[in-house]
Amino acid sequence: MPSNTIAADVFLNREAELNYLKSLPKLKGRALGGNVYLDGAKGIGKTELLKQLHRELFREGQIVPFYYSFKTANLKGAYFAKDYFTRFVRQYISFLKKDPSIEENVAEPISRLFPAIIALGLHWLIDCIEDFQSHANKNDFYWQLVAATSVPVVAAQRSGMPVVVMLDDFDFAEGIYESSRGDTHGLASLFGVSMQNRLCPHIIAGATGALKAVFIEHCLLDMTEQLRLGPLPEDLAVSLFRSHLANLEIASAPDTQLAFLNTLRGNPLYIRNIAKAAWKMQKKELTEKDLVECYSFDVSEGETASYWSSIFNHHVMNPTKRKALLKLLWRIIENQEMEDLGRLALLSGFNEVEVGAIREAIDASGIIGDNNVLFKDFIRASYMKEIEGRYPRDVREKIEKKYLPEREESCFELVIPMSSNAELVVAKAVEQIGRNIDLDSEFLNQLQLALIEVCINAMEHSGSYEKKVFLKFTIRPDEIEMTIESSGRPFSLDLQTEIPVEEKLRMGMKRGWGFKLVSSIMDRVKVERAGDRTKVILTKKIRNNEVLK
Amino acid sequence: MKSAQFSVTSRLDGDAAVIYPKGYLNNLSGKSMVTECGSYINQGISKIVVNFSETDLINSIGISMLLQIIEDLRNIKGTICCTNMSKFLRETFEMLGLIKYMVVFPVESDALKYLKARKA
Repeated sequence: MPSNTIAADVFLNREAELNYLKSLPKLKGRALGGNVYLDGAKGIGKTELLKQLHRELFREGQIVPFYYSFKTANLKGAYFAKDYFTRFVRQYISFLKKDPSIEENVAEPISRLFPAIIALGLHWLIDCIEDFQSHANKNDFYWQLVAATSVPVVAAQRSGMPVVVMLDDFDFAEGIYESSRGDTHGLASLFGVSMQNRLCPHIIAGATGALKAVFIEHCLLDMTEQLRLGPLPEDLAVSLFRSHLANLEIASAPDTQLAFLNTLRGNPLYIRNIAKAAWKMQKKELTEKDLVECYSFDVSEGETASYWSSIFNHHVMNPTKRKALLKLLWRIIENQEMEDLGRLALLSGFNEVEVGAIREAIDASGIIGDNNVLFKDFIRASYMKEIEGRYPRDVREKIEKKYLPEREESCFELVIPMSSNAELVVAKAVEQIGRNIDLDSEFLNQLQLALIEVCINAMEHSGSYEKKVFLKFTIRPDEIEMTIESSGRPFSLDLQTEIPVEEKLRMGMKRGWGFKLVSSIMDRVKVERAGDRTKVILTKKIRNNEVLK
Repeated sequence: MKSAQFSVTSRLDGDAAVIYPKGYLNNLSGKSMVTECGSYINQGISKIVVNFSETDLINSIGISMLLQIIEDLRNIKGTICCTNMSKFLRETFEMLGLIKYMVVFPVESDALKYLKARKA
């Protein structure tokens, strides 16, 4: 069982489901059900619910919890059987001895547990281990699987203590094979035997559409009820997000409602990922705009992007097919409809049969029909990066534009090389931009100085291989915003350290004025990180006396 | 902002040297200004006037070079006067706390009068 369970007070709004799952042994004992198929969107918190259940049952000591995730399992039958069997033994002994370290120490050979097993009087478990070893020695694939999947039942029957079996990401179980992938089908149905036992309720979790496909096995379907895990309500989603921010020591700007969180549709995984994106981007005081920026980063380069990418890669390993799938999904998302197979095949590069199969899988997964905005943005971002070959910053901006309200503003962009005096080109540009809106020359000199300092810092300290600085000037009626972005090392600290003049005169080091200059000139200085890029955002209010009459 | 090309010229007026930095005052140009002042200091000149009338733009490295000149003069108990500074330049020096280490005059002639008077 993974031990990185989140704190109980951060785990919100799942009390009813948790209590119901805890009552499963009772229901099963009375033949009123007892097996649950836990359903819900990706990231909605199925695994976390199982972790919390495991933790509570472990603490209470009346029912044995056993958790197994198929996502990270080796699906080659013999390996899987050994892994499943030994994990159960470890978790069982760990529960009885109230020592979590036993189940965590997966590298320790199971024979080392014999003294503890004997001390607990579990002679039947020694028999089970020997039987399993005997099947393994004979290379008896089928009986190894049976011995593994039935060990929770044996334990429950011998001890009289119910065992709750939690099978996470169960849709992957469909992939268990004997010697090469796809050589055997339907081995997941072996779990049907242990599911029938009155002392062993099973909770089976997995991706919505995929799990339905596994459950066409009648032996599994008949004895299982569905429990759907819904999204967190709006207020709780905000509470969860705020508690993540507090843990990461990030504040919300005053009057920030975090309304954008509604886009995440109460999905705890996405909420956590956005909070972590804010931390990675070094946000200190989060505004609504920041939230959108964190979202665009997360969905294009952050943990949510990695999460969806890994799912993609699991299903489509071939890079060419991945691109084709991306084209297909992008087409479907942008057009909001399924076009005819022939046209989709032409556009994506798949043949019509493949397009048909993918369309069916998409329908079954419910990802698009569910209006999963985040998944759609992930596809858009991936399409722009992988098919159109756009820069990550362009991708982020495109995503942001969808959510940020249009403001009366004009923008100029400039890319300069990291070469001697290139900052003067920037100074000239800001001078002309300022003249266009009749800004006072003293005011412009200040902007030039601040801008030059940040550019010099990027050139001197970033160590960028790209050797370019990207600038964006945004002019609004009441302010001018200048964004300086470069890859490489983060904003250097020496620029942020202020040393008094007297000390500078005593020391050989005369430099280190940059941050003081910039922060004195500008009204706001923000430094953010997105991936390997640093973004410095300088904002200066335009007051009436700074505009020429 | 006029020309970015930097140059330093100078002249001797009595026992004071007048320096004319022109253009963008950065690391390279700052170094040549330090060298120019250094050559006068080596000749025993301890009064320097920097006339900023032709200085368009400055950066923090250029400022650090100016600080070097201030230090060099302090070591020989000399005086630095700055003249013809734009409002922006003066405010920048004030903001950084440099102004108290220099004597500021609106024009070069005032600075030279002041230095001559100090002679007595």
